[in-house]
Amino acid sequence: MSSVLQNLVNQPYRHGFVTDIDADVAPKGLNEDIIRLISHKKGEPEWLLEFRLKAFRHWLTMTEPAWANVKYPKIDFQDIIYYSAPKPKAKLASMDEVDPELLRTFEKLGVPLHEQKALAGVAVDVIFDSVSVTTTYKQRLAEVGIIFCSMSEAVRDHPELVRRYLGSVVPYTDNYYAALNSAVFTDGSFCFIPRGVKCPMELSTYFRINTQESGQFERTLIVAEESAQVSYLEGCTAPKFDTNQLHAAVVELVALDDADIKYSTVQNWYAGDENGVGGIYNFVTKRGLCKGVNSKISWTQVETGSAITWKYPSCVLLGENSIGEFYSVALTNHHQQADTGTKMIHVGRNTRSTIISKGISAGSSNNSYRGLVRIGGKADNARNFSQCDSMLIGDRCGASTFPYIQVHNSSAKVEHEATTSKIGEDQLFYFAQRGIGTEEAVSMIINGFCKDVFTQLPMEFAVEATKLLGLKLEGSVG
Amino acid sequence: MSETLSNGHLDSLLRGQSRLPSSARGWLDALRADALEQANALSVPTTRDEEWRYTDLSPLYQKSFLPAPSAGTVAAQALDACLLPEAGCRLVFVDGHYAPRLSSACADPALGVTSFSDALAGQDPTLQANLARHAPLGADTFVAVNTAWLQDGVQVRVHAGRTAAAPIQVLCLSTRPDVVAYPRLLVVAEADSGCTLVEDYVALHGGEYLTNAVTEVALADGARVRHVRVQRESTSGFHIGTCGVRIGRGAHYLSSAVALGARISRFNLNIVQAAEGAESTLDGLALIGGRQLADMHSLLDHRYAHGRSRQLFKSVVDDEAHAVFNGKIFVHHGAQRTDSSQQSRSLLLSPRARVDSKPQLEIFADDVKCAHGAAVGQLEAEQVFYLKSRGLDEAGARNLLTFAFAAEIVHRIPLPSLAAQLERIVLQQTQKQTSDRNRP
Amino acid sequence: MTTKTILEVRDLSASINGVPILKGMDMTINAGEVHAIMGPNGSGKSTFAKVLAGHPAYEVTGGSVLLRGQDLFAMPAEERARAGVFLGFQYPIEVPGVTNSAFLRLAYNTVQGARGRDELDPLEFDDFVQEKLALLEMDPAFLDRSVNEGFSGGEKKRNEILQMAVLEPMLAILDEVDSGLDIDALRIVASGVNRLRTADNAILLVTHYQRLLDHIVPDYVHVMDGGRVLRTGSKDLALELESRGYDWVAKEKAGVAA
Repeated sequence: MSSVLQNLVNQPYRHGFVTDIDADVAPKGLNEDIIRLISHKKGEPEWLLEFRLKAFRHWLTMTEPAWANVKYPKIDFQDIIYYSAPKPKAKLASMDEVDPELLRTFEKLGVPLHEQKALAGVAVDVIFDSVSVTTTYKQRLAEVGIIFCSMSEAVRDHPELVRRYLGSVVPYTDNYYAALNSAVFTDGSFCFIPRGVKCPMELSTYFRINTQESGQFERTLIVAEESAQVSYLEGCTAPKFDTNQLHAAVVELVALDDADIKYSTVQNWYAGDENGVGGIYNFVTKRGLCKGVNSKISWTQVETGSAITWKYPSCVLLGENSIGEFYSVALTNHHQQADTGTKMIHVGRNTRSTIISKGISAGSSNNSYRGLVRIGGKADNARNFSQCDSMLIGDRCGASTFPYIQVHNSSAKVEHEATTSKIGEDQLFYFAQRGIGTEEAVSMIINGFCKDVFTQLPMEFAVEATKLLGLKLEGSVG
Repeated sequence: MSETLSNGHLDSLLRGQSRLPSSARGWLDALRADALEQANALSVPTTRDEEWRYTDLSPLYQKSFLPAPSAGTVAAQALDACLLPEAGCRLVFVDGHYAPRLSSACADPALGVTSFSDALAGQDPTLQANLARHAPLGADTFVAVNTAWLQDGVQVRVHAGRTAAAPIQVLCLSTRPDVVAYPRLLVVAEADSGCTLVEDYVALHGGEYLTNAVTEVALADGARVRHVRVQRESTSGFHIGTCGVRIGRGAHYLSSAVALGARISRFNLNIVQAAEGAESTLDGLALIGGRQLADMHSLLDHRYAHGRSRQLFKSVVDDEAHAVFNGKIFVHHGAQRTDSSQQSRSLLLSPRARVDSKPQLEIFADDVKCAHGAAVGQLEAEQVFYLKSRGLDEAGARNLLTFAFAAEIVHRIPLPSLAAQLERIVLQQTQKQTSDRNRP
Repeated sequence: MTTKTILEVRDLSASINGVPILKGMDMTINAGEVHAIMGPNGSGKSTFAKVLAGHPAYEVTGGSVLLRGQDLFAMPAEERARAGVFLGFQYPIEVPGVTNSAFLRLAYNTVQGARGRDELDPLEFDDFVQEKLALLEMDPAFLDRSVNEGFSGGEKKRNEILQMAVLEPMLAILDEVDSGLDIDALRIVASGVNRLRTADNAILLVTHYQRLLDHIVPDYVHVMDGGRVLRTGSKDLALELESRGYDWVAKEKAGVAA
């Protein structure tokens, strides 16, 4: 029975092609000259170069974290290209001037860049290797005061905002990969939702790694002012290479009083082949700061790709009555390794957090949930509920749960539950007896298992995620 | 905490070890030498070690304790106060030294009780076959240090197919400050045998000292061991204990571990379910106040199919006390049909009290049923309200519920006299809480 | 075999994990008939039901079963279901996160598709299923709950009959559909089953107790023991079993054989 299930999970990766395009590539290696080069190419102000150099000098003093439940050969940080951009064809004035090869690439990936073809109601910023290619619906958003653009543009056009918030949630000293990112980040998305504005459409960024030797180090910053609301989506894919590429992103979210940020990710980086060769190392720092009272930050992630995932989208609940949420589905197959979870740091009074994590392991993969719930001494009446469920398919994979619960306040209430389940022979027989074949049964059971997370995704994305999980797990899921 | 401080402490712990007299058997000398090497290789843990991140031993590292040269004197009255009337056989350690004169002769034909020195003098291979096998040296500095100092201890054999008529009481007394005690106990329950064992740590003074105790329990196929461990050291003392258990086919190990005393205490309960159908039932209770720290670490290693385990660990934390719970469940590849559950529940009674809890599941088999739950908080408001609606006042209702919370563990202890003693302690503690709470 | 024959079982034997359970079963079921299989614990009643439905744990070691003249064992479990074999489970399986409505609709449309009939969209299906709910006196809110998860014993059994009502099988095998039911629930389940009886379908009841047969009156009662049918009779045989137990059947059979 196990082998039937295993066959269902072995599906080809459909985004593994390479785009043949001229690129402006910096030499391999990491040193202050490379950082100055990146900064120069982007025409950055002095303060940002200083920020990068401070981060780099700090990074040199740090060691790679070893505590995660993942194993990989030592990364040679001098063997990576830190800047790779498709060669610009003069200055872009309109959509039509994007390199047609790039347009075709994103068309193929299901991300049409022409606004008339694009998904209605979703604005997209598209990042190819190190740079943003284009951002759709920018004008329409600007009309309501929303800034949605690439980080490079934001540095140029809104330096005071970037300077105020960059590194305010994830300081460059935070961890090894955050320091590396702070030194070498090339592009990413910037969203600013001014006071009282409810963003009229979903904002999204699509990340694509194309160059074999390059790493992607993007930086995303989302600021929601008082009573602002935004829903943001992130998607990512990469070609199939037999080497590993490093993706070390930093995402910072800031929610002021009564603001509400919903951040959703469908991560489908190339995961390596069935023998564990190739694939992306996805070492990402994502953190949201609920700075204001009654603010809310909600992370939803569907993690299906990457050879290694090391990712803990977190919430710092500073404002009174603020709310943090984390909904996650992580699927690993073959030799994939995922160590992912969240941190809920309760600082303010009456703060609440919810964690729902669903891990599915198949093949020889390893899937770990790692989470921290900390209730600080001043976080009176803080509440957390965590549910972390694992499902194993086959007997060669592993599922682990590592919750850290730290309670320093006697009025807190923290509850954590974890269970393990499987797709049993009896369950499949029950479906078969009602006329439903194994494939459909598995898909239905898995979708049922993940339902609490999928319902958190925006509509278009929920369909996308269900499909993606279906692709990974079998041929067809509706 | 500085490296120097911790390394200095290890040096002080091992000072004089080289002057230990050679033992009657070469293998024991070799074991001690190996332990010494391991201790030096491991060094003493700091909060940078994942297994110790919440338990800061620097207050211990500031002290320097040497082993007591001999057992202190114990007044008959003091000893009597500690004895459990149900116990059939009693083994007494004083300041870490086995005290045969204070121990009772064991007449139960189901049991073979021997001091290590007697066992070494005889032909019984049990000691060599088991010692340091169930509490391995490489995993823990304190086990290694205890083993490096190994001179005397007690071995209890429960003969195959027999069940001990009455519980065995192992009493570890501390009679003086400024020393370190290294009690060592080995229990070997042969096939289809059964016994109840009570390990009781008591101080007869209020000074500072360290108890570093190691117990090993081996259950052969079909054996059943009920193991009660009560730690009621002085609140100035330090207590570090390890119990290593190996469970054979169809055998069942039941444990109740209660931590009441010590300024800083740590108990490692490491269980290997080493054959199919092994089962364990683990209860734990920490009842602490003042500035006490009680750290409970359980590790349940399911290595074979059809294993079962149940764990329930509770803590009641008052004042500025700090409870730590770490419970790891490991299900190996091939350990199919494992059924494992773990619950940890903590009650914080004062605003400065603190709990760190880390339940962990690591599963490498697909056909298993595993669950863990952890809850930290206060009494259920609904329950308090229910009792108040039946006429109790707020304090009375809270007192009753807190008592009931802790007493659940105590009531499962199979020795009525011990359960009653502990129940009194729980009652006192919880009543004290109530009056404190009501203070303006 | 007549055109009315739905199921023809000849000398069927089957085992689980190498242990023989069925040892030469024979039975013929025609359209419009209700059959009941009774027998002591371990007689092989439930195994017979599961083997007919294609449970993967059982291995057929001999004999044949024809469903409307077609080899039943050539079909995997889902094809048998699509061909009209329905098993009401003794212990219905829980499927967390999958709603009853989604499950029922997928099952219905799959089976309809296999029979060359039109599938129903969610709205049409809702109308269709509401009627069936009424038949079993079930609350519509029930459709939004996960399949069998957190159901009481009675709710699970009613849910099985609801599925039967939706799938309209040719042969419904109900394994201990009465176990765990109080008298009211039994009455509802039985009246649901009775209303689903037609001249074109057949029902095979597997039960331990005669009381079910007061509510769903069988045309034939088979007594099973040791993996075979020892005796077949009318509904009166069930009453006799109720008063005399099972032992006499085996003894009588042994007497006849001797």
